[in-house]
Order: sequence, then structure tokens, then C-alpha cells
Amino acid sequence: MVDPATALVVFSGIVVALGALFWPHRGLGARWLRLRRLDERVRLEDALKHVYMCERKGQACTLESLAGRLEVPLSDAADILARLAHLALVRADTDAPELTEQGRTSAVQVVRTHRLWERYLADRTGIPAGEWHDQAERMEHTLTAAEVDALESRLGHPRWDPHGDPIPTAAGDLPPLRGTGLMNAPVGSTVEVVHLEDEPRELYDRLVAHGMAPGVLLDVLERSERKVRVRGDGRDFELDPVAARNVTVRAVPAGQRARESSMTLADAGPGETVRVVALSSACQGTQRRRLLDLGVVRGTEITAELRSASGNPVAYRIRGALIALRRDQASWVLVERVDSSAGAVA
Amino acid sequence: MATVFERHRTSNLVRLGLRPDKWDVLMALAGNPNVGKSTVFNALTGLRQHTGNWPGKTVVRAEGAFAHNDRRVKVVDLPGTYSLQAGSTDEEVARDFILFGRPDVTVVVVDATRLERNLNLVLQILDITDKVVVYLNLVDEARRHGIAVDAERLERRLGVPVVAGVARERVGVETLLDKALAVASGEIETAPYRVEEHAPEVEGALGTLAALVEESFPRIPNARWIAMRLLNADEAVTEAVASGELGHLGHEATEGTVPPEAVRMRLVEEARKLRWDLPGDFHDALVERTYAAAQEVAEESHMTGLKKAGFDLDRTLDRLLTSRWAGFPLMLAILATVFWLTIEGANVPSAMLASVLIDGVHPWLRELGGGIGMPWWLSGFLFDGVYLATAWVVSVMLPPMAIFFPLFTLLEDFGYLPRVAFNLDGLFRKAGAHGKQALTMCMGFGCNAAGVVSTRVIDSPRERLIAIITNNFSLCNGRWPTQILIASIFIGAMAPAGVAGLVSASAVVGIALLGIFLMFVTSWGLSRTVLRGEASTFSLELPPYRPPNVVQTLYTSLIDRTLIVLWRAVIFAAPAGAVIWLVSNIHVGGPSVAEHLVSWLNPLGLLIGLNGVILLAYVVAIPANEIVIPAVLMLTVLTAGVAGGSGAGVMFELDSAAATGEVLRAGGWTLLTAVNLMLFSLLHNPCSTTIYTIYKETGSAKWTTVATLLPVVMGFVVCFLVAQIWRLLG
Repeated sequence: MVDPATALVVFSGIVVALGALFWPHRGLGARWLRLRRLDERVRLEDALKHVYMCERKGQACTLESLAGRLEVPLSDAADILARLAHLALVRADTDAPELTEQGRTSAVQVVRTHRLWERYLADRTGIPAGEWHDQAERMEHTLTAAEVDALESRLGHPRWDPHGDPIPTAAGDLPPLRGTGLMNAPVGSTVEVVHLEDEPRELYDRLVAHGMAPGVLLDVLERSERKVRVRGDGRDFELDPVAARNVTVRAVPAGQRARESSMTLADAGPGETVRVVALSSACQGTQRRRLLDLGVVRGTEITAELRSASGNPVAYRIRGALIALRRDQASWVLVERVDSSAGAVA
Repeated sequence: MATVFERHRTSNLVRLGLRPDKWDVLMALAGNPNVGKSTVFNALTGLRQHTGNWPGKTVVRAEGAFAHNDRRVKVVDLPGTYSLQAGSTDEEVARDFILFGRPDVTVVVVDATRLERNLNLVLQILDITDKVVVYLNLVDEARRHGIAVDAERLERRLGVPVVAGVARERVGVETLLDKALAVASGEIETAPYRVEEHAPEVEGALGTLAALVEESFPRIPNARWIAMRLLNADEAVTEAVASGELGHLGHEATEGTVPPEAVRMRLVEEARKLRWDLPGDFHDALVERTYAAAQEVAEESHMTGLKKAGFDLDRTLDRLLTSRWAGFPLMLAILATVFWLTIEGANVPSAMLASVLIDGVHPWLRELGGGIGMPWWLSGFLFDGVYLATAWVVSVMLPPMAIFFPLFTLLEDFGYLPRVAFNLDGLFRKAGAHGKQALTMCMGFGCNAAGVVSTRVIDSPRERLIAIITNNFSLCNGRWPTQILIASIFIGAMAPAGVAGLVSASAVVGIALLGIFLMFVTSWGLSRTVLRGEASTFSLELPPYRPPNVVQTLYTSLIDRTLIVLWRAVIFAAPAGAVIWLVSNIHVGGPSVAEHLVSWLNPLGLLIGLNGVILLAYVVAIPANEIVIPAVLMLTVLTAGVAGGSGAGVMFELDSAAATGEVLRAGGWTLLTAVNLMLFSLLHNPCSTTIYTIYKETGSAKWTTVATLLPVVMGFVVCFLVAQIWRLLG
């Protein structure tokens, strides 16, 4: 019989070894995957994408901006550019690198893969929004053109990625950029958010925390050199120019204003009846389709009817049926009170 | 001579997996979930039904046949869905059948108590086909709740026949059939309501494209819908346009209606161009418009002036059953009663079955074999191996299932089970699971295979997989007897005689609770690791309470659940019996194969506090947990040289627990062996019936492997740790 203490030691050894190999993010396996990502193809494609995005936004692309974007020393960035020039993907004879026709095609393909993959993650999986971008950064270098086309038709040829960016078609067609930066919106006007830049992550998270998302209406209250103050969904908040530059907006027809309140279905008190104003754009994919199919559409009147023994979920009377929704689902449904006198508000 | 139309339809139907029987009328049955669609299906077909899967999908399909007015009708039950947007597999299957299978008539079952929500689906079906009859089910229930629907006005508004009735009592079913056949034959011409006038920015693109579709395919009945699906980039519809298949989807398409390829491609191209100008919330706008129309139609058809009873009784019942203070105690009381009835009620029939099948028929078969001069190995193989294992499984398994499943189904039909899921969802949500997993888990206490099948009620992919993979942590009724026997021999025996029963019962309940705890832990882990990428949508409909139909419940729960599971178990148990007999009777160089295996497995078994006999018993008992103890006893007698038993390869049980304990102790069992056996009986791979069921339900070898290996790895680790710590402390 094996000595129990020895057996336990050997067992702990095995557990530690397995943990070291497979631990998410910090295990050897994860590190190895990350290292592999940094191979040449990835760097070249990321560089191409950077040059392309500069071109599309009308910004200057320099060796410095490239080195900054790829997080490599200037000398490495220069090597990468030389390699791209050698492959006839960019013209490096000018001050700023420019894409050749072939280079543009390759860059568009990378962008297309990235945005389609984000759409896929949003529509077909339960991966949280914060992780879409990083996963897409990985996938854009691994999928073949044929796989991307198959993915596109499986997703029903989506036109926009979940951040509001257009997805290039297989032929490389892309509509012109819509809208203008939030910093340019006139004071007193109401605008609709059409796009949020998802990089850097910290900035994006802050915008999302303010309730910003494509489709949200904002009233521009005040603007100065250093900040812009807006109201959206009943909340006033300020953004500095850096953050505001990451928000693209467009004018809306006269008469439309931002929502006065931030009330959601989750705020409806017991027995209270509310009317649906909109579904938050944070609710996407299968989640959104399910709510729509159940009849949670603009104008639907919903009564909070029954609390479960644990308080969450709550059952709502929706179009004649009693349907239980969890708190996070209910908070995607933006509503207004139907009759201010009805129902006690907790 | 088949027309082009017929040829196309036949080939489409074969592609959709329909058995090419002969019929005069092909009928599809559609409807929302929980509207009594299967009641209608059963009322129509009775026993002449056949279930299978849709080709390449894990969605169940039922089809059946019957005759009405001398016409043979084939009816296909489509999955219950809230819409036909092809957003989920269920919706895709239903939509494809209506579009490409071109049923002669589609019957839409509608719940009169929730008309508006149901009309959303009706309107979507009317967009695709005009051969529709609406069956307004549950009008009695609606009336009880103060809702009355004017079927005639609804019929005028929808432009298709509407038949009111109560499927449970066959009210209106004959009329429904008359109307359905009349629509199929064209005697009744329909003028289906179509949603017109979408928002201006949608209408522009839609109008342009619909006109083009109409021009290119002049004979199809649903140009606007086709245009809408093209704008939605619906793959199947785009493909049907591009290939020209669409030209054959009309009712009386003739040759020459398929436009040349250039025209078809122009249509696809035009749709692609128009899509860029559509608003971003195009899909939302369509659903909104359909619901607005549904609301309008529903409001017009609701009769006023009725006493407003509302859902008062339901509300009172709901307040009680989901209240903070009474909800959980009532739930525990109800579920405990069900389990008590099952265990107590099953004892007597189980013992009777065992005495007939094992003590009566088995010796008789052996005598018969000897009488007709059968060689010993053949009678051993057939009667001691195959027959005995099968008999054991049937006698242990059948009675509890035949009691448990109907009781559970009654609670389900009454509407109580969704409330249990509603109350417990808070707990399951924290573990990343769905409240309905509480129900599939309970079902697993009856039988894991049935528990896995019951996860169909969970319509969110991630949560359903979690429920499937963790169902094995519910101690099924094949394992209860093992737990009870071992606990009373080894654990109860340590306590004073007066409380021995209580102590051993607590030990068994403790193991079951450990299983529930591990189910939560595993669910939590799965939802955060391997399954975090799976899509997740929660929704839980609380249907109105309805008086259960006892006869139908008995029928469906016996046929659908009990007999199917039993049949699968028997199929797997018979070869297991054969293997057990063979390994005990084939000798290699002196000892039997079983003895070789046991001595080979012994070091591993002893390391984790078990022994080789137990491990071998679990290997051969993969098909059925019921035969673990008989196999252990037989193998112990065989390998330890203890007196007793009925011979090599003949499984047996002893009349008294004390006698069983003597055999086991002689085989080297200690208290540690007993405790670890109880743990291992909870934590090991699912039986082969369950594994097979998991594969059928998930259609994935990967998830089947995870569900199989995860518990057995946990079992080895837990037993190992317990054994080492036990030895260190002892």
C-alpha cells in the first residue's frame, strides 16, 4: 500500500503542474498562445490595418504612430514598413506610408474579419461585450477568406458591427463614414450616437458606463475647449475632448429630444404598468430577438405582476402572457410610466 | 405522371426528412410553446405517430397519420416557436417546412387566453402561405378568466378559417378537420391578412424589391414576404431565389415560371444594394409593426361586456406559491411527497417483479434449458447473463418510474413546475444556470436519461448544456438501492440499534445533498469556463394554472418517458449481462478473465479506498447502475473464495443485509470502502443509456465526452482524497 502522505504529495504535484499549464491567462499554455500571436503575419497585418484606418479617418500616418499602435520600438516599426513595402503592400517612398491597391484589399479583409467576428460574438455567443474586441483582434489573423465568407452568410450578411462600424462586403465595399465627432455638435442640438470607438478599452468602458451606445439620443447642453456636457437617458454628464472624439454622432430630425428619464422595466414597482420606449442596444443577438418575439417592442404596455420568492426574476404581464425576466434583462427595456398615479413606487 | 410542381415538392420533402408514405393531404401543425399543440396532435393521430429528429438537427419531430372523410392525412408537428424569423434552430426548422415543404394546409394552434402574443406568429405564417386554418384552443380556460374571443370576427379579420375549441375534450376538432381539408383542396378560398404599410424608410426598399420579385416570379403568393427576407439577407430564401427554386414554391406552379439566371441574380444584387439604406433597427421595426397589427386584430376580436374575472384565482394561487415565506416550504413539501410516494409505492411492485422474474422465471428457464439438452455455456450465457441482467434492470427500474413520471407530469400540466423554476431561478442564476434546471434535476432523481431528455424545456443553449452535463449529479433511482443497502450494512451498524435506521437514512440523504451541492459548483465552473461562449437567453413563461388531464398524462408519461427509457435501458442491459457472464466463465491460463481483471485493477482500487471488484463491477455495469450490487456480490464470491453465490457469472442478491455484509467483509471491505463506494456511486460516469441520450440530445461528441468523463474524474479524485486523509487520521 502506498503511504498516504506520499500519495497526497504526488497528487498535489500533479494538480500544481496541470494548473501551471492550463490556468487561464497566466498559465504556460495561455502564454505560449500569446507568444505565437506575435509572429510576423500578425505584425504585418496590424500595421496594414493601422495605415488603412489612418487613411480612412483622414489622419496622418507616421512611423511614430505606427510604433505606438503596435507597441514596438521605432526601429522595429521601420523594419515592418520596409517588409510591407517589399511585399508591395505600401508605398514607403513618400513621407507618410500609403497603401497600394493590393495593400488596401488586404487591409479591408482584416477589418472585415474583425468586425464580422465581433458581430458573431455579439449575436451568437454569450461572451461579454468587453471581450469582443480582444477576441476579434486574435481571430482577424487566423480566419481564411473562405471561412469569413461562410461566417458572413451564416450571420445573415450583417451591415454593422456591434459598435456601429460598417462591415466591408466581400468585394470590399464600404459606405462613407457617417456623422461627425461629438465635439463638433452644436450646443442645444440633439444628436444620435452612431459609433463608439472601442479602443482604448478604458475610454470605451467609461463611455458605456455613461449609458452610451449606438442609437442613444443626446442633448448637447454645453461645450467649451476642455469639455462637452450632454444629457442622455435622463442623465447629465461631461466628457473631455479625448473621450468625446471617440463618439461619432449624427443629427436627428427636429423635434426629437433625448429621453428625460433613465427608467427601465427593472424600476417598475409591484403592480405598476409601464410602456416600452426602446430596447437598449446593449441587448443584442439572441437576447434581443427573444425579447422582441415575446412582444417587448416600442409601445407595449407591461405590468410587473409577480415577484419570485427570491426577488429576482420578476414575472411581467406582456401582451396577455405572464413571463418571468431576470433583473439584468429588465434593465435593458427602457420604459416610461403610463399613469403617474397608478402603482406604488418603491 | 408527376408534374414539375410535384417532383420539386417530393424532393424537398425528402430533404426535410419526411418518410415518403402515401397521403392525400399534407398538414403542418404550428403554434407557440405551451398552447396545447401536442394535445391537438394526439387528438388527431392517437397512437399512429412516429417521432424522430429533423435531418441534421437535434430538434425532435413528430409525424402521424389519420384518415378523415376517406382522405389520408399526414400531419407533421412543427417545433413550438414564438416567431418564424429563423433566429433559432427551432424557428428555422418550422419556417423551412412551411416554405419549402409546402404543406397543403397549416393548422396554427392559438391560445385564446394570450391571443395577442399568439397572433404575432399567425401573422408571420400568413405572410408565407395562404393555406392556413387557425384553431383557437383553450376557449373554456379563456372564458374562466373573463376573456371571450369572437371567432367569426377573427376569421373575417384574418381572412382564413378560425375554429374555436378545446383540444383536451376534442371540442371543435372535427370542424377543424373539415375546414382544414376544405382549405387544402381549395374548396375554401382564403384571403390572408397581410401586414402592409411599414415605416416609410422600410416601405421604400420593401416596395421596390417586392415589385421586382412579383415581376420575376409572377406566380408566387408571397412576394412581399420574399422581399422582406431578401432584405434580411435570409440565406435560405436568397438561395431559393438565386437557384430559381422559388419559382416552384407556388401552389400550381407550372413550367416556365422560373426566370432566367440574369433576372434572378439582379434581384439578389438589388436586395444587397437596398440593404445599406435600411435603418439599423430594421428588424425591430418589422417586429413592432407585426405586433401592432396583432394588437389591433386581437382588440377587435375580443368580446366585451363579460364579467371581468381576470386571472384572480391564478393571482391568489401565485401569490401563495411564490411568496417569500410560504413559497419554499410548500415547494419542499410537494416535492418530498412526490419522492416519498415514489419510493414507498415502488417497494411492493419491485419486490413482486423481482420474485417473478428473478426467483420464478430464471430457475424455470434454466431447467427448461437443461431439459431440452442445451449446453451449459449456452444456457449460462443466455439465462444467467443476458436474461438475468435484463430482469434485474426491469424490476428495479420500472415501478419507480411508472409512479414518479406521471406524478411529475401532473404537476407540470397543472402549471406548478414553472413556478418552482421561477422561485429557484435566483439560486440557479448565481450558478450560471436556468431556473428550469431545478426541474430537470428532480427528473434526474427518477432517471438521468429522462432528466437529460427533460432539458428540452430549457430553450437557452448554454443553460441547457449545463443542465445536461450536470444531470448525473442527481442520484437516480438505479443508485438509491445501492446507497441504502451499503449505508445500512456499514454505517447504520455503527449506531445503536434504535437509531440505526435514522443514521443510515441520513447518510444516504447526505450523499444526495452532496450531489446537489456538486451540481451547483459544477454548473458555476462550466458556465465560467468551457461553456462561457455559448449563447444564453433567459425567458420563463408562467402558463395559467389548468386542471390536469389525468388520462392523457398517464398515457404520455408512460409512453413518452417510462417505456422509452426502459426500452433503451433493456437494450443496453442485455449485452452487459452477456459480458458479465463471459468474463466470469472464460478462463485464461487457470483463473477467469474476471479474476485477472480484478487483480489487475486492485492496486488502483485500493489506492482510492475501493477495490478491484468494485471497479470491475462499475466497468461492466456502465449500462445500468441497478446491477452494481449483484455484480459486486458475484465477483466477490468468485475472487475471494467466499462460500455462497449461485455460480460463476450468475448475479445474485441476498435476502438479509446482514448476510450481504458478511460476504462483503469477507471480501476485505472496511468502513472506508463503504463510504467511498457511496461516494463513487454518486460520482462516476452516467450509465450508457444516459450517455447515449446525451449524445442524441446534444448531437455533439465533445459535450458527450465532457459529461461522461467529468463526474468519473471527480469520483476518482474525491475517493482518493478521502482514502488518504482517512488513512492519515486513522
